[in-house]
Amino acid sequence: MSPAAKLTKIDRALQAKADRSAYLADDAKTEIRICAGTACHASGRVALRKAVETTLAERGLTGKVAVVETGCHGFCEEGPIVVVRPQGLFYPRLKAKDIEEIIATSVVGDGIVERLLYKDPQTGEALAHEKDIAFYALQERIVLALNGKIDPYSLDDYLNHGGYSALAKVLNAADPEAVIDDVEKSDLRGRGGAGFPTGKKWRFCRANPGEKHYVICNADEGDPGAFMDRSVLEGNPHSVIEGMIIAAYAIGAGNGPVEGYVYVRHEYPFAVQRLRHALETARERNLLGDDILGSGFSFDIRINQGAGAFVCGESTALTASIEGHRGMPRGKHIRTVAHGLWGQPTNLNNVESYANVPWIVNHGPEAFAAKGTATSKGTKIFSLTGKVVNGGLIEVPMGATLRQVIFAIGGGMLPGREFKAVQLGGPSGGCLPASLLDEPIDFESLVAAGSMMGSGGMVVVDDTTCMVDFAKFFLKFTAEESCGKCVPCRVGTQRMLEILERISAGEATVEDVERLELLADDIIEGSLCQLGGSAPNPVLSTLRYFREEVMAHVVQRCCPAKVCRPLIRYTIDADACTGCHVCLGACPTSAISGERKEAHTIDQKLCIQCDTCRQVCKFDAIPIETGIFAMAEGRQQ
Amino acid sequence: MAKSDSGNGGRAAQPQGSALYEVLKGIDFERRELVDKGKGVGLFDLVKAKDGSYRCYSCTLCERVCPVDCIEIDYCPEFEELPFDVAAERAAALASLPGESCGAGAACVMGEKPAGFMPEIDMKLFDPVVAKIRDGSGLVEAFHATQEAFGYLPRVALEDIAEEMKLPFSRVFGVASFYSQFRLLPVGKHVIDVCMGTACHVAGAPLVVEALSQELEIPVGATTPDGLFTLQTVNCVGACALAPVVRLGDDETFGRLGPNEARKLVRKLRKQEVGA
Repeated sequence: MSPAAKLTKIDRALQAKADRSAYLADDAKTEIRICAGTACHASGRVALRKAVETTLAERGLTGKVAVVETGCHGFCEEGPIVVVRPQGLFYPRLKAKDIEEIIATSVVGDGIVERLLYKDPQTGEALAHEKDIAFYALQERIVLALNGKIDPYSLDDYLNHGGYSALAKVLNAADPEAVIDDVEKSDLRGRGGAGFPTGKKWRFCRANPGEKHYVICNADEGDPGAFMDRSVLEGNPHSVIEGMIIAAYAIGAGNGPVEGYVYVRHEYPFAVQRLRHALETARERNLLGDDILGSGFSFDIRINQGAGAFVCGESTALTASIEGHRGMPRGKHIRTVAHGLWGQPTNLNNVESYANVPWIVNHGPEAFAAKGTATSKGTKIFSLTGKVVNGGLIEVPMGATLRQVIFAIGGGMLPGREFKAVQLGGPSGGCLPASLLDEPIDFESLVAAGSMMGSGGMVVVDDTTCMVDFAKFFLKFTAEESCGKCVPCRVGTQRMLEILERISAGEATVEDVERLELLADDIIEGSLCQLGGSAPNPVLSTLRYFREEVMAHVVQRCCPAKVCRPLIRYTIDADACTGCHVCLGACPTSAISGERKEAHTIDQKLCIQCDTCRQVCKFDAIPIETGIFAMAEGRQQ
Repeated sequence: MAKSDSGNGGRAAQPQGSALYEVLKGIDFERRELVDKGKGVGLFDLVKAKDGSYRCYSCTLCERVCPVDCIEIDYCPEFEELPFDVAAERAAALASLPGESCGAGAACVMGEKPAGFMPEIDMKLFDPVVAKIRDGSGLVEAFHATQEAFGYLPRVALEDIAEEMKLPFSRVFGVASFYSQFRLLPVGKHVIDVCMGTACHVAGAPLVVEALSQELEIPVGATTPDGLFTLQTVNCVGACALAPVVRLGDDETFGRLGPNEARKLVRKLRKQEVGA
């Protein structure tokens, strides 16, 4: 915009929408922010909020101190999280009884409750601010920038943080092609996993003629272990809506009507609730609906809820589901950009892709392209879970190494545990071993390593996880979620699962392992959609990097990680056992016997290997042995 | 496939080298000339048996498995009566079953009333769903509304949805049974969802499921005979940092729950119910 340019009609319309009296970004107002993400909710934020409100009321501070429930802060391991402003004090793992002290010290007074601060696991130093904590300090947040800062129920909060300014900029310029040019120049690639260039998709969609164009946001985050999309929708739903309106404008302006859909998982009740509220308020203020901000462009978004089918994350299955069919994919000889929802040209992007768009428009494509690697630009959100110290939601520039993410940000493995593998890309991805920890994270290098970006699930496992069992878990998932339309996926995954089950039972032969590889190739080749096409990936990557462990099951008939049930047995270490009777009481099948203060014994015929005894034992007196015992003991499987 | 009576007539209609030609070459199938359609438009006719009766049983399998989606089954208002006697077919099918129940419970279209826990259905609850359908909501959304009202999808409701939306019942039932979230059987008072996401699996969710299943004496997906508990698994609730996670109803979530704690939770709930 030239310096002389005055505020346009659209700018004025946007400014009129914002209520400036709503609390501003960095003012000195006293405020208590409670994280209301799903994880913090599960760890007790409702009780926390109640405690805050009663304590404030007791002190007559109701109304003077704002209580804001924000979206996910990302540090889910440490929930429930409370941030006290204006100091920005970060209090993790709070209990309702701690609130009194915090309000007395940090809200009324200006002190810090040292006892409740986050302690660095390495140095033991208490850290008061988010920016001091390694978990936050090493991240680079674009999409998540406002997560945890704004109230997802307040449109004013978003507007006061510069929200919808990208939309105003686009509407002012009134050049939809230029928007597509910008997105293309930024090299934004689809964050759903495949990494198709977003700008290119928009261009194809715009070029395809149709009665109506559809813009769909894919929030059917089915990957087990991934929750990035949920957190964005829960924490900052307007950023996704803004991205969608910009996409709709780029595709539909001067090109016929456009309609939007968000396809969101039903398992995410908070995300649906907040998104629905965000859509309503945006509609009220004319940021959605007819003649948006007086620009003459009209667009509206509907919510469509999924119903627990993983395959509905696939574009053609997703459109089939919206149309009210069984969510089954079709052959992709004709792409959805030409023939999608109701047979019309349809643009389908992931939540995170849309959430990146306002930033690109505001900061320019060059700034976005400056981040990341040669082929993958910008940042990527990962949900880091599994056996790491700091699990949660992290955003890093593309090209960061796995070691940086897992060890520097994630804080490394739990004490006394050894890193074994990291699983990326959910059931379509693969496990990478320690030797690949210095691999940069981008689309190409992950595929080359036999894994994939996927939507961003990152599950770290240690030496207590059996890789055969882990691969079996993913294959079981895809076999169950296979829609059943094409034979390679429906029957093939089932057969692969059977072979894996034989391996983990110690009944497989070396030929079985070869057969597994052959079958995997055929399934990849013959499947109709990417669910089948990528289903064998976890198995293939396991065979590639953890072949020794697989062969241990086949040749030595033992499970090195001591997980596969037919190959293990629970025993009692007579020297360590104090005869305390705790395991005896906990055993659900009364398989443990023994007198008090004398070493107990386990009856292998009764033991169902539920692991309860080992978990309750305080003396580590229940070691697991591995080998082929089942036959010898006549155990009932 | 029946032997072709017109030589390779079926193949000749396809231009050589076309994708369909490649698929069809070498296969002998019955080709019927359709009166109202041009050549190559309708290769497959609704097949009648030799005695003139219909061979299609509206199983919708053809629609489901067609890899190029060229079959679409639609509501057909001109067929007031179904081409075959539904009641007679059902009676015949039931007669051929071993014992009284087919074992699939209410999930089976054939069986009328499955044994087990079955509450009364108050159809007044269904009115908002009808209103929603008339408002233009899709089939999946209608199911969500129905499940919210009844806790599951009763067969009568599915029949009403089919009628309201002018869809064949087979299609409505097919969609309802496809999605794992829709329940065709009533649920108990407490619905226990065990998260089976990757993080939970690594942290031992299978052991939790087993413990619960043992404690409640029901398999996964079933309801206790007293109608108190339903045990289910979900793919991922997205609270991976708290693995293993168990969700009770829609509101309560328990994190870091081992098999022993899970058993205690059930015992506590049961005690509450018995005491109340």
